[in-house]
Amino acid sequence: MGDSEHYALDGVDLTIHKGEFVAIMGPSGCGKTTLLNVLGLLDTTTEGEYQLDGNDVSNLSNARLAGIRSQQIGFVFQSFNLIARLPVIENVALPLTYKGVSLTARLKRASEVLSRFHLSEREYYLPYQLSGGQAQRVAIARALVNNPSIILADEPTGNLDSRASHIIMEELSDLHQRGNTIIMVTHNPDLTTYASRVITMLDGRIDTDTATLTPAVYGLPKRPLGVSKKPAAKAVKVSRKKTKTKGRAPARRKVV
Amino acid sequence: MSRFLLGNHVQNARQALRAHRLRTFLTMLGITIGVASVTTILALSAGAAQIVSHQVSDLGGTIAVVRPGLASGNPIAGLAGTGIPHDFATSTLTLDDVKTITKVPDIKSVAPLMVLSGSVKGDHQAPTGTPIVATTPALRETDDLTLENGEFLDDSLDPNTAVIGPELSNRLFDTEESLGKTVSIRGQKFTIVGVLVHENSPVNYNNVDFDNAVFINVESGKAINQGMAQIQQINIRAGSVAQLPHIISSVNSLLYKTHFQNKDFTILSGSEIAQPTSQLYYTIAGVTGAIAGISLLVGGIGVMNIMLVNVAERTREIGIRKAVGAKNSDIIWQFLIESLALSLGGSILGYLLGYAIAFAISTFLPFDPVFNWQIGAVAVGIAFTVGLIFGIYPAVRAAKKDPIEALRYFS
Repeated sequence: MGDSEHYALDGVDLTIHKGEFVAIMGPSGCGKTTLLNVLGLLDTTTEGEYQLDGNDVSNLSNARLAGIRSQQIGFVFQSFNLIARLPVIENVALPLTYKGVSLTARLKRASEVLSRFHLSEREYYLPYQLSGGQAQRVAIARALVNNPSIILADEPTGNLDSRASHIIMEELSDLHQRGNTIIMVTHNPDLTTYASRVITMLDGRIDTDTATLTPAVYGLPKRPLGVSKKPAAKAVKVSRKKTKTKGRAPARRKVV
Repeated sequence: MSRFLLGNHVQNARQALRAHRLRTFLTMLGITIGVASVTTILALSAGAAQIVSHQVSDLGGTIAVVRPGLASGNPIAGLAGTGIPHDFATSTLTLDDVKTITKVPDIKSVAPLMVLSGSVKGDHQAPTGTPIVATTPALRETDDLTLENGEFLDDSLDPNTAVIGPELSNRLFDTEESLGKTVSIRGQKFTIVGVLVHENSPVNYNNVDFDNAVFINVESGKAINQGMAQIQQINIRAGSVAQLPHIISSVNSLLYKTHFQNKDFTILSGSEIAQPTSQLYYTIAGVTGAIAGISLLVGGIGVMNIMLVNVAERTREIGIRKAVGAKNSDIIWQFLIESLALSLGGSILGYLLGYAIAFAISTFLPFDPVFNWQIGAVAVGIAFTVGLIFGIYPAVRAAKKDPIEALRYFS
């Protein structure tokens, strides 16, 4: 082929503690999204280890991984990724379906979450009838509906204007206040002010990480990092991760 | 898979199929046509197969028939015309047998059937093969015959009298009012003393269409048949259903004795009488049904095609579902239930359409289509088989999609 092998992630050694709000920055193709997919169990590494809550997940079956996604992880995407055919409330209730919750309980719970995001009047709107900001709030509501401990957001404000962006960021920040772990990929440096920790990536490696800088250099984080309080109990640990990629498009993660 | 998940899949399938009404309808149409043709064939052939058994049960289940030789039980042979010999072959049953059977207690009546063919002529010539039935007056009782006009054969009447079926009367004299007219049978003149009521049952256990037959006395029949009695069947009528079993066993042992320990006769009762005819119709139904089944294959391919389109169109949805926690098996079930819904919907429509067609056709036939659970089961069975066979591949393909690729998919 002539193309050299390429790792989307190479030598990433990262520990994220429960309750952190991590912003991941970096140029396109540096492996941010791949890292997020690995953390969200959508992708697996070719080498290295990923411990979630202290358990190695690399040997789990697809069904187990789906189970963990269903129980513990909520995704927020740049392009909202709502199912166009389903009304707002059913989109929000979707994760509960795979937890085996009954229809009435699902809709009740979805309705509760939507009211928290001031979307009660939009319950039976279809996604195309919503503005971008509303659609992203619906997506966040969906990510929250089964009380996941970890929220993964891939450029959640990428398609929004600055006003809507700040509303979304306030929501995420609010979730963070309530104790959720939030890991967000973003291109927008302004948004890092909401985060308790900022990681920048370059070419599949971690370039800078505010957690490893002294507070004196970077400034105090908004929240204590809680390492000493809750050691490995709810830790997400990624170490020496290598995900190989072949081909020119650097962000592709086809495993060789 | 939990109960709730199943409900969700069903609801999902309904929403997804509704989103493309025309596409769904056209796909279902393929299944509908296949199931409709199978249903029509089965309903009509079951109707045809029941003609004889209905006749038997109309006689209150009190009828038994004695036939010469051993029952072949081969409907295909019957189809080829080599089954029950009407002509040529010498029967092992005789008029003495009729007398013997009459002596058995509890028997209400016994009548022999000697079916001849030959020229039958009134004002016009009857078509070749018009059955000439030589019998005794007791036939009226064994077969519950009703007369439109006149009276049935009677020993007290002149032997050269005949009773005629209404259709034959029309052919010979252009009228059903043929009392007192003369019919010439194998050159012998007979006076018509009675005309039967229309029965409209060309298929029956006597193998004679009574509407098109002429009935004469068994003695006259012998006379025009070179003095030979050629008895194809002896009809026995019991007083009640309860008496029939012991009547059959007495007749069996008596005939066995008088036939010098030769088992050269068969006694049939109830469903056995109808069996050869029914089997014949079921065989025909099986063959034609299998041919109609080919259209189901075409319908099934249509289902698979549309399901593959559905899966491709909803790649992104699959990615989303996986991201929020759907297992591969959940995705498989979702699409499998959708294809099952397609084929089941088509099948129900086909079942209804099939019966509509069957009833439309049956207005031209002497029998009605039959409703039974087997035909419904066949329709549902077809639906599940087609839905599964042609739905499993698209469903597995959907489940195998990589969630990251799927989420990046632009439609």
